Amino acid sequence: MEFFERFAVPHPSPAIYASMVAIGLTVIAIVAGLTYFKKWGYLWREWLTTVDHKRLGIMYLLCALIMLFRGGVDAIMLRAQLAVPDNKLLDSQHYNEVFSTHGVVMIMFMAMPFIIGFMNYIVPLQIGARDVAFPRLNAISFWLFFMGAMLFNISFVVGGSPDAGWTSYFPLASNDFSTSVGTNYYMLSLQIAGLGTLMTGINMITTIMKMRAPGMTLMKMPMFTWSTLVANLIIITVFPVLTVALAMGTMDRLFGTNFFTTTNGGMDMMWANLFWVWGHPEVYILILPAFGLYSEIISTFSSRNLYGYKSMVASMVIISALSCLVWAHHFFTMGQGALANSFFSITTMAIAVPTGVKIFNWLFTMWKGKIRFTVPMLYSIGFIPLFTIGGVTGVMLAMSAADYQYHNTMFLVAHFHNTIIPGVVFAMLAGLTYYWPKMFGFMLNERIGKWTFWLLSIGFVLAFFPMYITGLDGQARRMYTYSEATGYSTLNMVSFVGAGIMAVAFALIVYNVYYSVRYASRNISSDPWDARTLEWATHTPVPEYNFAVVPQVKTSEPLWDAKKRKHVLFPGKLNKIHMPNNSGVPFILGTIFFVWGFSFVFAIWPLVIISTIGIFTCLAFRSFEKDHGRYISLEEVTETEEKLGGAK
Amino acid sequence: MKAGHAQPLEYSTHQNDLNIFGFWVFLGAEIMLFATLFTTYFVYEGRTGTGPSGAEMFEITPVLIETIVLLTSSFLIGLGVHAMRLGNKKATMAFFALTLALGLVFLGVEIYEFAHYVHIGAGIQISAFTAILMTTLGTHGMHVTFGLFWGTAILIQLKKRGLTPETANKSFIFSLYWHFLDVVWIFIFSFIYLKGMM
Amino acid sequence: MSELFPRKQIIGFIFSLILTAAALVVYFMDLSFAAGMTVLLVTAFAQALLQLIVFMHAGETEDKWSIYGNVYFMVGIAIVTILGTLLLFAWDM
Repeated sequence: MEFFERFAVPHPSPAIYASMVAIGLTVIAIVAGLTYFKKWGYLWREWLTTVDHKRLGIMYLLCALIMLFRGGVDAIMLRAQLAVPDNKLLDSQHYNEVFSTHGVVMIMFMAMPFIIGFMNYIVPLQIGARDVAFPRLNAISFWLFFMGAMLFNISFVVGGSPDAGWTSYFPLASNDFSTSVGTNYYMLSLQIAGLGTLMTGINMITTIMKMRAPGMTLMKMPMFTWSTLVANLIIITVFPVLTVALAMGTMDRLFGTNFFTTTNGGMDMMWANLFWVWGHPEVYILILPAFGLYSEIISTFSSRNLYGYKSMVASMVIISALSCLVWAHHFFTMGQGALANSFFSITTMAIAVPTGVKIFNWLFTMWKGKIRFTVPMLYSIGFIPLFTIGGVTGVMLAMSAADYQYHNTMFLVAHFHNTIIPGVVFAMLAGLTYYWPKMFGFMLNERIGKWTFWLLSIGFVLAFFPMYITGLDGQARRMYTYSEATGYSTLNMVSFVGAGIMAVAFALIVYNVYYSVRYASRNISSDPWDARTLEWATHTPVPEYNFAVVPQVKTSEPLWDAKKRKHVLFPGKLNKIHMPNNSGVPFILGTIFFVWGFSFVFAIWPLVIISTIGIFTCLAFRSFEKDHGRYISLEEVTETEEKLGGAK
Repeated sequence: MKAGHAQPLEYSTHQNDLNIFGFWVFLGAEIMLFATLFTTYFVYEGRTGTGPSGAEMFEITPVLIETIVLLTSSFLIGLGVHAMRLGNKKATMAFFALTLALGLVFLGVEIYEFAHYVHIGAGIQISAFTAILMTTLGTHGMHVTFGLFWGTAILIQLKKRGLTPETANKSFIFSLYWHFLDVVWIFIFSFIYLKGMM
Repeated sequence: MSELFPRKQIIGFIFSLILTAAALVVYFMDLSFAAGMTVLLVTAFAQALLQLIVFMHAGETEDKWSIYGNVYFMVGIAIVTILGTLLLFAWDM
């Protein structure tokens, strides 16, 4: 039927057909499995309707790992295509689709949920709170992210994948040049996921500012919480810019407006401008919590408190302000004047200074410390030289005149991967290993973890450092092939080998999880790393209410005080505890948003209107709802505490 | 802040306090939302293609009506919150209802304005200028529309449940929203209409 | 604050009407661009502050530092974004 023709993929391939089959089979397998094991009720009660920050955090992390797989497969395909000159693995259209989805998936659906997952799980525990300020809103944030990710991920099998790059520049992204619905998917899925992230920003800031344990002033907060506060401040500042930009892009494509056209006064560069006003602070949103994790890990495994607490805080605040002042460095070559370029050049170079302060503080923390080379610590130590290299190539790119040589070459690609992988990805893996015992009650295997670290580091260097050289030699980015005569082939083959080694490393992570689930001891301490902050003062597994008694804090290392300096962490008596109820509305709202987004992508207007009404119905329901949570009785609290080992 | 004896009802529980704080954070984000629209507007102000410019389109009378109506509604909801703090449920509801009524009048004038623009050949598809103009005005207008529905829901809850910590909290937060929309309108009035008619 | 007569609200309302009238000067009189923009900027920001402090009670709780801080930060970044964009696209520099 003609109506269904619009859902066909415009440029299919065997791989896409195979994926359709795989997706279908997986969905059937999941539904069958849940039915056979009679787990639908469990799934609904414990996970789909949860408002518990710990459960939401774990779901974010799970999604991030799955998206890491998808983005990684994209990456392998790209490197395989470029491994030899004049390769025929991917044609130009498919190459465009793959690098576009690789970018969007890795940044929006892998890195963001990874850090937001950690923020969700750790921050309330670190500040001694029982949940975030708005648990129901938190659940909505997750489901909006999930539905945005789902919407994006079905694009390549229903209607066509976006193919205008993760940056989706106009006029390429306009209807003239991107005729499939791919770019519509881009606009709508990021819009939905972005709404969720904005809500997380509001939630985290309120939680951190208003729900800290008694005695925990701002300057006594753990560094991960500080980094979360600053990152969320950036989120609430710049995600609205993305909201507007995506709306304008959607209007251009679906309503015939002239925001980014090349006629009737439109200005294609305005898209790039607004995108990067959001996009540059976005990468600082990613890196700051990573820095926070490194601070926690380096301090724990050097057995020293963090060097230069105040300058660590100040540097993050300065970075957040500066990050909103540098955006034009992403388009130095696009025709603006020399003064404009110079301004942004200077601000971009300036941002290296507070970052450098942090590097030195980490090194000073380790100096004369008793270093334990655990897997999280290895990632943190590897991060320092590798990220620094990425950072200094950033300073090279910051010089606007020089950037005319580097812009859109592989040099740039190498730079941003050099900052994101040792910066963000290493931190995520370190954090995963570090917090795994608290989340799941057993440790990940150290030996496999160390193999992973070394393979990942070596693979990363092999994959990306050659790109610095080919970039300087003139290899452009986003080009699906090159000829033998360019001389890029050897280094591209090296890159491919490096990518393969990275793939092995990621496979080892999966194996580590399987191996540890099967063989790791469940008899571990609730503080297995001998750490210093409040999240480790909880039981393992962490009870629903986190802390039976609200902790009292004196310094920035409350657990260390309790262990070494006879500080009493939980001075009060046990009492009944007020907790929010689970709710199905966030999941339902998310599902309606998915329908809304999907129907918008394909311009099925009746369905858009119906789902919009559905969204407002959910809001009205919430407004009139009289749900004030429930109490966990004193008996139940006492029982749980005794079972888990008594309050410390 | 003390009102003679107790803290105002809308702040009186911990969750209430969190709700108000969270809403202020949200308003900060909304500042950036409208700032983005203004950023684009200032660049696109002269990019009128074959369509009309602001000076050719804008009429002072409806703009003045919209401004006075919105300013008055902001004043009225201020009186509503004042009445709420004095515990006067009937007065609170009356002021809120008047606020919403004026909001409806504002929307009516704005819809007339849009219809007029389309009629004179300045529809949203005509040029970059008309696109950003109507998107900015429309975003504000949609916020007002959402506010009418939200405000009505609160009015119903006030009627059915009276002045409780929860309803007081919601009413206060709604008043923050309404005042914010008035502030945005002041910037629209000044930097879109007046600037365009200078 | 438990006084019966809403003095602050009425004074605030009158002030906002005065500021609106002041802004109208740029419509009724022929001012230079710089003069006109100055009038608009002053009246608009004055009204915004009026709303913030008098009507929205921004300064009435212990959260006022966070509230003012948030608002000023956002306004600052908004100005940077607007001026930066004009520098890039509108001003020939």
